[in-house]
Amino acid sequence: MAEVAIHAGRNPVARAAQAFFRDYLVLVMITLLVAITAIVEPKFLNPRNLVNIMRQFGPLMMVSLGMTFVIIGGFIDLSVAGIINLVAVVTISLIGPLGQVPALLAGMLIGSACGALNAAAILTSGALTQAEALFLTFGMSTVFSALALLYSGGMTMHFWDIKSSKAMFETIGAGTVGPVSVSFVIFLVVLLLLWVFQTKTTEGRAISLTGGNKTAARLSGVRILRSIFVIYVVCGLMTAVGAIVLFSRITTAAPVIGAGYETNAILSVVVGGTTLKGGKGSVLRTVMGVLLVILMSNCLDLLGVSTYLQVVTKGAILVLAIWLDNRKQV
Amino acid sequence: MTANSIGARVSGNGFGGRLYSIVMRQKAFVAIIVMLVVMLFAPTHFYTAYNLLDMLNSTSILLILSFGVTLTIVAGGCDLSIGGILVVSGILSIKLQDFLPMGAAIALAVLFGVVVGFVNGFLSVHQKTEPFIITLGMGLLLTGIAQQLTDAHPVPAKNPAFMMIGNGDFHGVPNLVIIMVVCFVLALWLMRYTQFGRNLYAIGGDYEVARYSGIPVIRTKWMAFVISGGCAALAGVLLSAKLNTGSSIYGDLTALVVNCGVVVGGTSFAGGIGGIPQSALGLLVFGMLDNVMNMLAIPSYYQVLLKGAVIVAIIWLDCFAQKRKREFV
Repeated sequence: MAEVAIHAGRNPVARAAQAFFRDYLVLVMITLLVAITAIVEPKFLNPRNLVNIMRQFGPLMMVSLGMTFVIIGGFIDLSVAGIINLVAVVTISLIGPLGQVPALLAGMLIGSACGALNAAAILTSGALTQAEALFLTFGMSTVFSALALLYSGGMTMHFWDIKSSKAMFETIGAGTVGPVSVSFVIFLVVLLLLWVFQTKTTEGRAISLTGGNKTAARLSGVRILRSIFVIYVVCGLMTAVGAIVLFSRITTAAPVIGAGYETNAILSVVVGGTTLKGGKGSVLRTVMGVLLVILMSNCLDLLGVSTYLQVVTKGAILVLAIWLDNRKQV
Repeated sequence: MTANSIGARVSGNGFGGRLYSIVMRQKAFVAIIVMLVVMLFAPTHFYTAYNLLDMLNSTSILLILSFGVTLTIVAGGCDLSIGGILVVSGILSIKLQDFLPMGAAIALAVLFGVVVGFVNGFLSVHQKTEPFIITLGMGLLLTGIAQQLTDAHPVPAKNPAFMMIGNGDFHGVPNLVIIMVVCFVLALWLMRYTQFGRNLYAIGGDYEVARYSGIPVIRTKWMAFVISGGCAALAGVLLSAKLNTGSSIYGDLTALVVNCGVVVGGTSFAGGIGGIPQSALGLLVFGMLDNVMNMLAIPSYYQVLLKGAVIVAIIWLDCFAQKRKREFV
């Protein structure tokens, strides 16, 4: 009888609790983090700090949402840093000569094209494993970054150098609608679109199937090559949106502005609970993951932890999250 | 008879077919030949003993890194944490000299790499997580530790003897090259002539078959990660000795470049194929490319572009060749 008592699995309540903790560990962690920081440092709940957190939602969230599709599809994309570099410098330089809306569209087009190029490299070579895709997209990232350096000549471009109107980008970066920032509204709209795309459309479901089991997906009539193409284009597009939000907020674009985004995006997606094995996950989980990453750096800032130790913490959490994610499968 | 059959075989595959298979198998070798030929026609000081030795000297740290990584890739894994281990152990070897004699500091720095390799092995082999992603996370963690240790400033070494390890020479041959050659011979012996090395190939070829054949798969593959960590730490110490400083920035892309270089040489991510000489060739491609581009005075941004293009092209070829193989099977 003692053995039965130890086995929490037999008890429905305990089993439900166990399942909840396993699936929503990130929510528990967010709650704990907020509670502890709020007690130790009451400044955390200051409205200005909360607005600040909302602002930070922008770039990393967009990139992570795009990355979610790649990871659900069973792949990985290290080229987002290169895409951010390229899109940022090209878009900001086009605001003057082309005007705002064409520049915005051009930026998104370049991002999608970079994603399509990734997909083309992967599909033509048949690099259908995650490791191969990782190294291909790393090489691509180097190429995109080099193009960004060549295009900008290594110079940082500033908003104040642009003579024509740039009101739209200033609104994206710093505008507010009532109490919430414009970038937060953009995030909500994009999230809704992507959530509908992922859960309600054939193409979105096909991505999950492809990630779950390529052979089974192919045999049941899913066009897996098309799915792979779609995930990389979506990731490129979302990365471009992230790049635009990023340079609008900081009002400058350097050709190295995207460094580190690839690991942070993967971190957010995995911490949110989308499994690296592919097939399972959702954009809503990624939102929680990003929330945790942003809250963590905000809390650590408030608690006076150095930037470098924050990198250590992020790395540790990434390793821990991957390890737990893997154990969940067993 | 034999001449006939050989002739028939040649014509059967066609000259193009044979060339294709050679290029596919010896991508790195072909790339090196191309560079050597190009440099024949360029009016530079490329073909001088000094330059060639210098090239080998500056590539030797990457080569030492690659020997460890080759073990993990042959066993069907890979190690992206070497960049982190490289910088942290380099910094440790300098910082520890404040309290300890030089030998002990170096030994502890290498031990650090071994411990990280042990943890990598535990997570990726014993716990069966994806090695490339877990080691990427480990690399991030270690980079943070390196920045914290140095406050992101370079740390100068104070001991002239330490600097001599990285910059001295023995009858004109740089110390680094000698250490690299010793590592090369050791790694070659390990992979070719020991049971451990042959087991690694078996594990990379087919993990389950190796397990059923009675090979201690977990212990063997785990050991590959430990050795890789040790090699990376040794390389870190040598890098610090060469530059006479420890800094957190050198590891940035090293891990990915070294892993790519190993694949460029012909060791495949599929596991079970490749070896130490191939990896050495693969890394030499990158070392020579750097040297050649500098000699030809190519602007630095174009160098980055060219390097990225080479990485993409060669990984693409590697995957493409495997796809053909997979279709045949």
